[in-house]
Amino acid sequence: MSLLLTHLPVLPIVVPLVTGATMLLLRERHRRARVTLALASAVVQLGAAVTLLAFTTGLVPGAWAEGIGVYRIGGWPAPFGIVLVVDPLSALMLVLFATVALAALVYAVAHWDNPGQPFHSLLQFLAVGVNGAFLTGDVFNLFVFFEILLTASYGLVLRGLGSQRVKTGLNYIAVNLGSSALFLMGVALIYGITGTLNMADITRTLPALAPADRTVFDAGAALLGVAFLVKAGSWPLNFWLPRTYSGAVPPVAAVFAIMTKVGIYAVLRVGTLLGEDQLAAAILGGILFYTGLATLIAGSIGMLSARYLARFVAYSVVVSTGLLLATLGLGLEELTAPVLFYLATSVLTTAAFFMLTGMAERARLTHPQPESTAPAPKPFHVAFGVAAPDPYGLDEEVGTAIPLTMAFLGLVFVFCVLLVAGLPPLPGFIAKFAVLSTALGTNAANQAPVWLLTIAVLVSGFAAIFASSRLGMRLFWAQAARRVPRLRVLEAAPVALLVLVTFAMAAFAPAVMQFLQAASASLHDPDAYVQAVLGGAP
Amino acid sequence: MLLALIVLLPFAGSVLAALLPKHARNVAAAFAGTVALACAVLVAIQYPQVTGGGVVRSYLPWLPDLGLNLYLRMDGFAWLFAMLVTLIGALVVFYARYYMSVKDPVARFFSFLLAFMGAMLGIVLSGNLIQLVVFWELTSLTSFVLIAYWYHLDEARRGARMALVVTIGGGFVLLLGVLMLGAMVGSYDIEVVLASADAIRGHPWYAPMLVLIIVGALTKSAQFPFHFWLPRAMAAPTPVSAYLHSATMVKAGVFLLARLWPALAGTELWFWLVCGAGSLTLLGGAFNATYQRDIKGVLAYSTISHLGLITMLLGMNSRLALVAAIFHMLNHATFKASLFMAAGIVQHETGTRDLSRLCGLRRAMPLTATVATVAAAAMAGVPLLNGFLSKEMFFAEAIATGDFTGLDFSLPAIATLGSVFSVAYSVRFVHQVFFGAPCGTLPRPPHEPLAGMLLPSALLVLACVLVGILPSLTFGPFLETAALSILGEGMPAYRLAVWHGVTIPLLMSFIALTGGLLFYFWQYRSGRAMARPPLLWRLESQRLFDVASVRVTRGAGRLVEYLFTSRLQPQLLMIVCLALLAGFFTLQRGGWLRGFMPLTPIDPLFALLWVAGGACAIGAAVQAKYHRLAAVIMVGAVGLATCLTFAWFAAPDLALTQLTVEVVTVVLFLLGLRWLPRFREWDDPQRKTLRARARRARDAVLAVAAGIGVSALAYAALTRPATSHLSEFFVENALAEGGGRNIVNVILVDFRGFDTFGEIAVVGTVAIIVFAMLRRFRPAPESMVRPRVQEEEDAAREAVIDDFEDWLPAGYLKIPAVLVRLLLPMAGLVSLYFLFRGHNAPGGGFVGGLVMATALIVQYMVGGTIWVESRIRLLPQHWIGAGLLAAAASGLLAWLAAEPFLASQEVDLGGLHLSTVLLFDAGVYVVVVGAVVLMLIALAHQSLRSPRKRVEPVERRASLRRAPVPEEAG
Amino acid sequence: MEVVYALATGVLAACGVWLLLRPRTFQVLLGLSLLSYATNIFIFGMGRLTLNRPPIIRGGTPVDPAFYADPTPQALVLTAIVIAFATSALFLVVLLALRGLTGTDHVDGREPGE
Repeated sequence: MSLLLTHLPVLPIVVPLVTGATMLLLRERHRRARVTLALASAVVQLGAAVTLLAFTTGLVPGAWAEGIGVYRIGGWPAPFGIVLVVDPLSALMLVLFATVALAALVYAVAHWDNPGQPFHSLLQFLAVGVNGAFLTGDVFNLFVFFEILLTASYGLVLRGLGSQRVKTGLNYIAVNLGSSALFLMGVALIYGITGTLNMADITRTLPALAPADRTVFDAGAALLGVAFLVKAGSWPLNFWLPRTYSGAVPPVAAVFAIMTKVGIYAVLRVGTLLGEDQLAAAILGGILFYTGLATLIAGSIGMLSARYLARFVAYSVVVSTGLLLATLGLGLEELTAPVLFYLATSVLTTAAFFMLTGMAERARLTHPQPESTAPAPKPFHVAFGVAAPDPYGLDEEVGTAIPLTMAFLGLVFVFCVLLVAGLPPLPGFIAKFAVLSTALGTNAANQAPVWLLTIAVLVSGFAAIFASSRLGMRLFWAQAARRVPRLRVLEAAPVALLVLVTFAMAAFAPAVMQFLQAASASLHDPDAYVQAVLGGAP
Repeated sequence: MLLALIVLLPFAGSVLAALLPKHARNVAAAFAGTVALACAVLVAIQYPQVTGGGVVRSYLPWLPDLGLNLYLRMDGFAWLFAMLVTLIGALVVFYARYYMSVKDPVARFFSFLLAFMGAMLGIVLSGNLIQLVVFWELTSLTSFVLIAYWYHLDEARRGARMALVVTIGGGFVLLLGVLMLGAMVGSYDIEVVLASADAIRGHPWYAPMLVLIIVGALTKSAQFPFHFWLPRAMAAPTPVSAYLHSATMVKAGVFLLARLWPALAGTELWFWLVCGAGSLTLLGGAFNATYQRDIKGVLAYSTISHLGLITMLLGMNSRLALVAAIFHMLNHATFKASLFMAAGIVQHETGTRDLSRLCGLRRAMPLTATVATVAAAAMAGVPLLNGFLSKEMFFAEAIATGDFTGLDFSLPAIATLGSVFSVAYSVRFVHQVFFGAPCGTLPRPPHEPLAGMLLPSALLVLACVLVGILPSLTFGPFLETAALSILGEGMPAYRLAVWHGVTIPLLMSFIALTGGLLFYFWQYRSGRAMARPPLLWRLESQRLFDVASVRVTRGAGRLVEYLFTSRLQPQLLMIVCLALLAGFFTLQRGGWLRGFMPLTPIDPLFALLWVAGGACAIGAAVQAKYHRLAAVIMVGAVGLATCLTFAWFAAPDLALTQLTVEVVTVVLFLLGLRWLPRFREWDDPQRKTLRARARRARDAVLAVAAGIGVSALAYAALTRPATSHLSEFFVENALAEGGGRNIVNVILVDFRGFDTFGEIAVVGTVAIIVFAMLRRFRPAPESMVRPRVQEEEDAAREAVIDDFEDWLPAGYLKIPAVLVRLLLPMAGLVSLYFLFRGHNAPGGGFVGGLVMATALIVQYMVGGTIWVESRIRLLPQHWIGAGLLAAAASGLLAWLAAEPFLASQEVDLGGLHLSTVLLFDAGVYVVVVGAVVLMLIALAHQSLRSPRKRVEPVERRASLRRAPVPEEAG
Repeated sequence: MEVVYALATGVLAACGVWLLLRPRTFQVLLGLSLLSYATNIFIFGMGRLTLNRPPIIRGGTPVDPAFYADPTPQALVLTAIVIAFATSALFLVVLLALRGLTGTDHVDGREPGE
């Protein structure tokens, strides 16, 4: 057991990889074995992630100093070998991903009798990539893990191979290959100037750089930033996102809900490690804020335009990315904790929402006939003055009892909408309000951006209500909705679970916020990070 | 704590009620009624503490550092409203018990109703503005679900959505305003806000903040220009209309205005906004109400106009007006609720709400008639009824405020005119429904309702009468308390009495009554149906709203085609541009281009190599569209140049890898070429157009810019002294620690083995995807046509096509086939050799694997797909899986030695020295072979798809041998 | 030498970008591979240019970085080459599938006119 504990940081990467590889050895017909493996690995990942989180909080005595754990792959000393670094932020992301992945997996298992041979392996490899990206402390290794998660995601996007899927897939792949080239160039420049790849080591060498070298280094960092923004799905680099996400099958989309956040994480991580330089910070901040704002607005317009639910949810992912980027762009330390709170809730919510979409889809209602622009006809007794078939005789009205399934779907739908729109009393509101009130509370030199952000957030919330009320009413209340989809408990459970988790986050908000404060504190203390990773190394 | 209980009790009740059986009408009603009454009692017993400006507070900290806490405070005003909400709530529940049909799933109904009550109490008792907004939005949501309770009716759905959008939108505006207010004052605590009134009025943000908050209030209270949602909300069951849309929820707006009155009122702006909106609403609402065809329509518009009256009073900036406003809130709630109930009764018993069909019901239902008449009289402001008193005060204030801004007559005039109409519609309501000759056919023969249905309405009417006769003994003290809690010491002196002597207000009332009667009967005699308001009926708010909503959706859709275009080129363009910008912004500082290292002399050969390489690259770029084959070859040449460069600058491993990869890539591309459409420059219409030229020019510029950028950066890096201290470590420890002479390989499999680990994961994943895709892949029809060469070749092989058992393919490929067969084992040996020596000399698992794969490809080329596939036994997926597992195992072995993942271990098996590193590299080898073979098989196998018929028997035989012939989609 | 090297990288990058922005899938594919060549050479260049001192430890030469070319970028390039190979293979197959399903080789899966 202690063996496992010491190797805990690498488990989230090794476990899914071994699982995925083992699945390849199974033949097509061994479905049960494949499912068992997948579930086991997901559970192990969740357990490992939660334990790591506990370690970083220092709740566990004898865990790491100041909540940062370092695992040296191959046993080579820090700047030379590759290290995995677990700090509160990465632990949080691990837990989020593990939760969503487990939920999506259960859903998928309940949903398809045979999701096709590669599906489960791909899901595992995706986990390898995402967890690795969260854990690694080495820029080139980060690139490798990005490639893993992207490759797996290509496979998951193309799953089913409709001509539409292939179109979006090609689009998605092309964009990401382009950004990967940028990523590589950025990493190369950083190595060329600093002569190292280890993030902590880079941070340490920065101050010593000659200004000219620093300029070249910044160029590399900037290229890296663009690549990250593509991954994070910030406008105008995210045209692929809505189609790709809404095109993917629900559980996959649910897992993708966190993939944009990988980009956000990278921005946060690398940004905080490199961003002491005032000029760079200022430029970065400005760019982040305005691209974020643009993303927020574009996403809201997208929400308004959405004709069916999956697309709406995809745009809500865009909106959340925008809010995150813009808030980070404000560059206020005290905002980090609320932002992380928002990130967590929005990830869980969008994941649940995507799966809900899948369930509602079975009522064949998510693709309704587009409403006609023709104005609703006047009541014809007005038009022709004849006696109407008593439009006022709503007498002896009998409401229809909602069947349990629809009641469940409707309830979850309402919750998800409220969470997305940030309406009270759900955590979505708490998160957004936390961000806004903190932003307004900090007497930053320039208040204008804060107000811009506030207005944009409120408008986007309104857009969400406006669009989702239209979609939801056609989905659940249109006459066609009489046909009630059959629902397995196994697929309803994960969705309900995710929503409940967000509720729990609201209920225990003080504790959560306290942890997030700690996370942001350690995030904004690069020296501690460097110390933990390099120790006394040269 | 009691306060918290007051708010939480209804919510808890709502949850419980939802769990009751669907049709348990009595249980649900009784339960809900009990909850309401319990709340009423809890509120009532607080009265002693709130008299004389007393305040009850209860504070539950939750997220103090965010200012999110449950902070409830009850003063006189809040107490009054809480009483109103709970008591009328109880009455409505009682009424609904009889109103709702037996078959209705009422559990849901009562649950929603209780939830609303809780939210409303939350608004009333909030001591914190944010919290107030929270409950505010909650009331909007509950009102939405209650309006849409009969959601199978189209108008219910549409009306509900309009109400939701308007009120929620208003809520967001209000939130923004509150956030501003909080930023101005530095706290969301209502008491702090009220305390810092002057600071607020003097603040530069006062105007925008005021506008936002007022807009929020107006939307909720259905004031012009946001009044249109209320009439459509009448699609709700009548109890809902009585409770939410006349007595309580719509009062939330004016409640907020009154609540913040001390802090915000008292400025010109306030007067113009609030009083202006109020007066417009008063007139418009009253006018519309006179001309409704639907009973509930009449009541809805009259509600709007009465709320307008209250708003006007609040806008007058006079303390007495505020008192009058509060008083009228109470009176309106009582008589309007009872009127709605009466209307509900009429509909329930006759089966219609159509004024043009109803008449003379007083014979059939005398009690109802009496109740309704009295209530309507109160609404019209007939003396000895409560409506009269507040209206008198209203008139008085209108006159008093008249000279506030030189509009001496307009306010009184508006007031009187409004009342004229309100008298008119009250009379019309009573006269058309209950008086006149009994009309013929109604959906159902009218008769008195059950006593239980009439009782609540009657009670309310009784209240109207009592208050109307003895105001100072009934509402008086409560009104006093409420007003005092708002105004504090500045409490004006006033006297509630029926008779103030002959005054101008009395005169105005008289004018209003007579004028109203005359107006109605004039209209009536003129025989017009009064089924729709003149002019205004054309504004069908619902239709306009729906059209607008569709327009918004469409418009957004059109925008999205640009904001999120589905075309790939703009997206790549964006990436390139942003990358260029990012580079430009960081590099513009300058002075970075030239490092200090001396330039090494140019070797002409190398220069020549890259002249050729560059030429090939450019050639490929130009030819890629129309001469793909040429382009592929040129790209291959560029690859060779790259390979030579690596060799040139002392990187044998890279050169080797590049070479092998190049071979495989080119083969892949060639295999792919077959399935692409044919293009000829001269039959491409788009090519010559101006736009095309412009686009190409733009791209050329961008490309050149990118090229310059890359060159500059490369040059900048190349001319700087090397700084890598990683490499020092690697060089020094490669042999000592890593046990290998080939440093690069040691890095790959040991120092940074984790990268390689990920890399093979990528390769494996790609192979799986490719395989999974090509199983389902169908070539485009026109590319199914077999090339002429193949046709002839097959014609030549016709005789021998069957015996694939043969060792060598027949036909002219015999000789190369012999060579290739001989090559295979040798290639295998070479590849293993590369694998094993990799640790000490150029080579390694990857190169070895590629060599092996290449050998297999060559078999394909010569032997043909079927020939090879009928001889391969292993499933490539298994190779990939096994390889990954081997690599993982080599990493996990370290755990046994209690060392971290991938730490290399030496094992000595009787003189045989083995290292886990070798196992790792072997894993790489296996994965690469498996992956590459898998891709090639899948791709090459496509050629079997087109001429399916001819090779049918062979393919069957092949599949009998469990060859990895990809399955068809099935 | 550095100048030539830098120019070569630039030319490859420029051609890659140009092809990347073309409308036909195959052009994009070739563009991506050219771009990956450029990237690889670029990374390789980060180890500076050293002639005939391959990073393979020979008996006789002291174990001192000065006597060997920088091995780290070479390792990175190796990884990059492999990944680029894999991804471009995938892209090839996807473009074939697109071609098979939509009948066109335009990147948007439909001819511009349509």
